Amino acid sequence: MGFIKGTASYVRFAVEGELPENIWDFIADRVVSFAFRDIDETYDEDSLGWVSVSNMFDTDFDYASYASGNYVTLSMRLDERKVSGAIVKKFVQKEEERIKKEKQIPKIPRSMRVEIKERIQNELMRKALPVPSVFDLCWTLENGTLLFFSTNKKAQALLEDLFKESFVMTIIQQIPYLCGEHMLEEEGADKLVQITPDVFM
Amino acid sequence: MDLVDLISEKRFIGQEVLTWLWWKSEERGGVVALPGEGDIVVVFEKHMLLEYGEGDSNESLICRGLQTELQEARTGLLMGKKLEQARIQMVYNDYEWNFTMAAALMEFRNVKLPKTGGESGNNDNPEEREGMILERIFLFEELNRIVLELLRLFLQIRVGAEWREELQKIREWISRAERAR
Repeated sequence: MGFIKGTASYVRFAVEGELPENIWDFIADRVVSFAFRDIDETYDEDSLGWVSVSNMFDTDFDYASYASGNYVTLSMRLDERKVSGAIVKKFVQKEEERIKKEKQIPKIPRSMRVEIKERIQNELMRKALPVPSVFDLCWTLENGTLLFFSTNKKAQALLEDLFKESFVMTIIQQIPYLCGEHMLEEEGADKLVQITPDVFM
Repeated sequence: MDLVDLISEKRFIGQEVLTWLWWKSEERGGVVALPGEGDIVVVFEKHMLLEYGEGDSNESLICRGLQTELQEARTGLLMGKKLEQARIQMVYNDYEWNFTMAAALMEFRNVKLPKTGGESGNNDNPEEREGMILERIFLFEELNRIVLELLRLFLQIRVGAEWREELQKIREWISRAERAR
């Protein structure tokens, strides 16, 4: 967070690929096609998609709310059902004890234990409420750069995939070396490839 | 080379930039001259993280305190550690940013934007809201632009003939930290 309000943490990406001529129509179509789908009333494990930066429940993007001047501002929303390992372990053990008592057996066969664990995991997952996470981005169409307001590596990997699926373009994190490649003249960029760490003491 | 290898192999560049910038700002008492832009206030403050080694043998040193108390961090440089994170105050054209730069990946962390009059606007009004968003984008972009210009300045020197001389000055600055202990 932090894009709209307060302090912000972000990384820069370069957007690589060609946008079609009718840029805004293309973006409108893609944003809606890959908008976030709610899973509160389903048993899906997770859901990932675009929402408005100002409202995580807005997936309609009325009046192209993602367009601010020559920028595309969006939030990537991820809802995930999570069950902690300790909870799964507890309920698996509880079920195993129940079965042992019911069947009057001292030990549960391995195949059955696997089946129990799978079943319990599914049951608990269905009961778990989806936990939402929202990550903002600002895409500058003019120079093909993107600010992603999270330094979380998992979120960055999800963004790379969702962005590629949505807009058929690749984003590449701009580490200092890659910035240098873009900024230096040809001769300087050639030298940059060859430099090795220097000792500062 | 894929990005993961590139990040690992070239992470030193970000760390060298940050170390160089620290020296550059101290050289003129917290001011760096940026060609085409003029003087920019760049003050390293409060928080620094230095790294040594890679992978499993990676060690880090956290230093906190006011600018004048960052002696420990300079001593860290003397031990061969490299500056990986620093809290920076940057002032340009009456705007003041405060941010932490994580050097290897060039992550901008806990960025505090300059205070402007537009923050108290009515967020329910779509036009005012868009105005507020555009203003924040401008301030983020301006920070990125200055940081990239500083990076460009460093890299031009780093790949150029003057690097040896610049490196010698940095080494002298670091060794002064030892003498000042």
